[in-house]
Amino acid sequence: MSRLHAEEMILNMGPQHPSTHGVLRLKLTTDGEIVSKIEPVIGYLHRSFEKHAENLQYQMVTPFTGRCDYLAAMGSEHGYAMAVEKMLDIELPERVEYLRVIFAELQRIASHLVAVGAFGLDVGAITPFIYCFRERELILDLFEMASGARLLYNYIWIGGLAHDIPPGFVEKTYEFLDAFDKRVAEYNQILTGNKIFIERTADIGVLPPEVAINYGVTGPCLRGSGVDLDIRKVQPYSIYDRFEFEVPLGEGAQGTVGDCWDRYYVRVREMEESAKIVRQALDQLPSDGDVQAALPKRIRPPKGEVYFRSENPRGELGYYIVSDGKNVPARMRMRSPAFCNLGVINEIGQGWMISDVIAILGSLDIVLGEIDR
Amino acid sequence: MEAPDIFSVLQAKFGEQIVDFLEEGTLNPTVVVKPEAVLKVCEFLSQNEKLQLDSLMNLAGHDQDGESDLSVIYHFYSTIHDHYITVKTFTPREEPSVVSIANLYRTADWHEREAYDMYGIHFEGHPDLKRILLEEDWEGYPLRKDYVPAEFYRGMRIEKVK
Amino acid sequence: MIQTLANWILSFDILSGMGYPIAWGLSLFIVAALIFVFVALNALVLVYIERKVSAFMQVRLGPMRVGKFGLLQTVADALKLLQKEDIIPEKADKALFTIGPWTILVASVATFAAIPFSDTLLAADMNIGLFYVVSISSIVVLGIVMAGWASNNKWSLYGAMRSAAQIISYEIPVGITLISVVAVVGSLNLQTIIQAQGGAGNLFHWIPIPVPNWFIFHSPFLFMATFVYLIGGTAEINRTPFDIPESESELVAGFMTEFSGLRWALFFLSEYANATLVAFILTIIFLGGWQSPFVNYSSAQIALSIFSVIAVIWTVFVRMKSGRLSIYPLGLSILAAISAWLFPGFAVWLASPGIFWILAKVAGIIFLLMWFRWTFPRLRVDQLMYISWKVVLPLAILNLMGVAIWMWLTGEIQF
Repeated sequence: MSRLHAEEMILNMGPQHPSTHGVLRLKLTTDGEIVSKIEPVIGYLHRSFEKHAENLQYQMVTPFTGRCDYLAAMGSEHGYAMAVEKMLDIELPERVEYLRVIFAELQRIASHLVAVGAFGLDVGAITPFIYCFRERELILDLFEMASGARLLYNYIWIGGLAHDIPPGFVEKTYEFLDAFDKRVAEYNQILTGNKIFIERTADIGVLPPEVAINYGVTGPCLRGSGVDLDIRKVQPYSIYDRFEFEVPLGEGAQGTVGDCWDRYYVRVREMEESAKIVRQALDQLPSDGDVQAALPKRIRPPKGEVYFRSENPRGELGYYIVSDGKNVPARMRMRSPAFCNLGVINEIGQGWMISDVIAILGSLDIVLGEIDR
Repeated sequence: MEAPDIFSVLQAKFGEQIVDFLEEGTLNPTVVVKPEAVLKVCEFLSQNEKLQLDSLMNLAGHDQDGESDLSVIYHFYSTIHDHYITVKTFTPREEPSVVSIANLYRTADWHEREAYDMYGIHFEGHPDLKRILLEEDWEGYPLRKDYVPAEFYRGMRIEKVK
Repeated sequence: MIQTLANWILSFDILSGMGYPIAWGLSLFIVAALIFVFVALNALVLVYIERKVSAFMQVRLGPMRVGKFGLLQTVADALKLLQKEDIIPEKADKALFTIGPWTILVASVATFAAIPFSDTLLAADMNIGLFYVVSISSIVVLGIVMAGWASNNKWSLYGAMRSAAQIISYEIPVGITLISVVAVVGSLNLQTIIQAQGGAGNLFHWIPIPVPNWFIFHSPFLFMATFVYLIGGTAEINRTPFDIPESESELVAGFMTEFSGLRWALFFLSEYANATLVAFILTIIFLGGWQSPFVNYSSAQIALSIFSVIAVIWTVFVRMKSGRLSIYPLGLSILAAISAWLFPGFAVWLASPGIFWILAKVAGIIFLLMWFRWTFPRLRVDQLMYISWKVVLPLAILNLMGVAIWMWLTGEIQF
């Protein structure tokens, strides 16, 4: 019998595929079910954020930042506002800082809920996704109360907030937090401890810590590998040094440190920690103060440049802004966390099966809006 | 270690390859390096025991005014010693070329591709230098200040921005 | 049933002139049409139920707009699918692409010919009924491979190959599991198998708990075999957690990727037909088919009362603990118990075998399958194979041997 002719097959996963979390294309080189090479092709959602920003005044850029990471618009706006404030050297009222932290952390919960739910969806569990969206809806309701919008807020302005919170907001947030703690247990029941889920995610796509750092992986993905690096702790910005919270790390509870399950579980526990921060912030929230007291009349940062990073739900969100003294930025670069996190997929996805590549991609929690900008 | 100390260490090691140290007018103290020395400096930064700047946070291209040299800015952070340094290098805009650090910091792979995509800066020794966000056959480098978009792309009219 | 129908047709004066062969052919056609209508209606109803069940599990309402409680939703969907453009991809193998869905449908509908709905209601009383069911239903894989290969799409090919590997792997443990029941009865005739499950006895022959003589309670081995069959059956019909061939988050839609409109509807139809089939076989083989769980009317009254008491305790316990459990099942069981005591006729009806019981059991198993689907994540293809060859197959063989030994121990057979 002559030798069987076998060759590798190129498989195009995306740009239209249910599990690429947007318009991402993965060129998979497959040998049967085993994937031997992954080449991500990005740029399908490129909207020239950086070029636009060079033609817009500083305050006009804020809505665009939210459109980059649309699942964590508050976080993006917060980071951008802080970067420009750092250039302008603005001192913010206490109330603004507290409210910003509350919104940023609620946004982190909302974003992780999508990540956790969508990860379940990627490995075939449909119901947890709906459960997660149920709670996310409550957070979006809170955001709607405050900003009038549910997804893209333009709420955190340079030097302040768009509006003060409406009456009843604090009480509703407390209500949400009380309900939320019980719900996390529900996710753990239906997904985290599920035997099939563990089989599908533990020991899969192990990301060693030194590789993670070398690839610039940040956020829950990095902490899933056991690296204790949270910018809120390492380089506390805003008023994060006033709150007590833990930084959950991957411990390899179901397999190896840095596997998909660890990355997933870090997100689950981070939601609990964020809820703690929100509760503390609500307790300490000053009852009076004009949220627009520090709004600058003109935004013309002095000549110079800044690289400011903050901890977004997906990782380190950095803004590199160069000012030449005018009211438009001379250069605006967004160091988006998912962009760097996605870069590692070929390294950790090689040699796994197609189904595992989906799981690994889901565990990286990418948002194509900020990868392509 | 503070940024000035890192600068003095670098100057002692590399001498003339280190051009300048910018502290005023920037919130991130910056060491200016010659483009051909980038890889060597970065190797030193990442491997020296006192520095160990193992994390490349950001890599950005920059065009100041459309006439002068293009620049590439590297933001480093050490997860071990918790200190920062920014490295900057200038390269002539006619034939912009910088040594690639993509094999040293794997995260630089995509960042460099993006800088190439947006500014046309050629990174020598990059494993796979091609456009990343734009189409392969896109004309020009959009983030350069003197960029004028082509009239057509594959027969589609590109709308002029006012 | 066909002969009965033919004789019934001939009994009319007007029709008696057509002669037996024509009447026989006519009744054959009528029975086939009836089966097809059953399969189609069944899919229509199950799609609606599945949507509602999934919605209730996911804190949603499900379809609510078309008709009262969205009752007409699936009808509207079916009409929409029928109207859709018939698309055959340019590069597809047109012949296979067209035949594929029909092959699957024909295989799954044809299997129903041997399914007994009650002691009289079945299309063809075959002495090799079980063999027929197993062999015809495995033709499905042929259609899937045809469809996947003909689509000329890499995702479809993956789906088809996975499906072929999966179905063939699970045929073996499922077959062996079924044989272990055949070993007890000594017949492949489905009616005989059901009739052998009448009456009541002790649980596992010796434990003094009165249970119906269903094969699930025959011995620990057949008890285990029931679950082996449930796992294997779930895998054979490609449902979660074994929905690897069409895993939508991986392979887009697997072998169905390129199909649309009517052809896609056929896949859907046969998917639900197969699910029903597995439920039917499980019911017939292990759960007594159309046999009632109650031997006589007094046992129905007592059993329902005991069940109501358990339901009350359970509901109170759960509601005290977590505060969330519907009280409708509780109310229903109490209602049934009370009516069984008040109206002896109801109890007698409950204790008599019939189509109600087989359909009720099938509905329960289908609900179980839905429950699986909306709770579990999906296994990976190699894990699936691992379960098939290293867990389920040895278990099935163990059951077969165990049943033989058990029968010798209990004196059912002597050497």
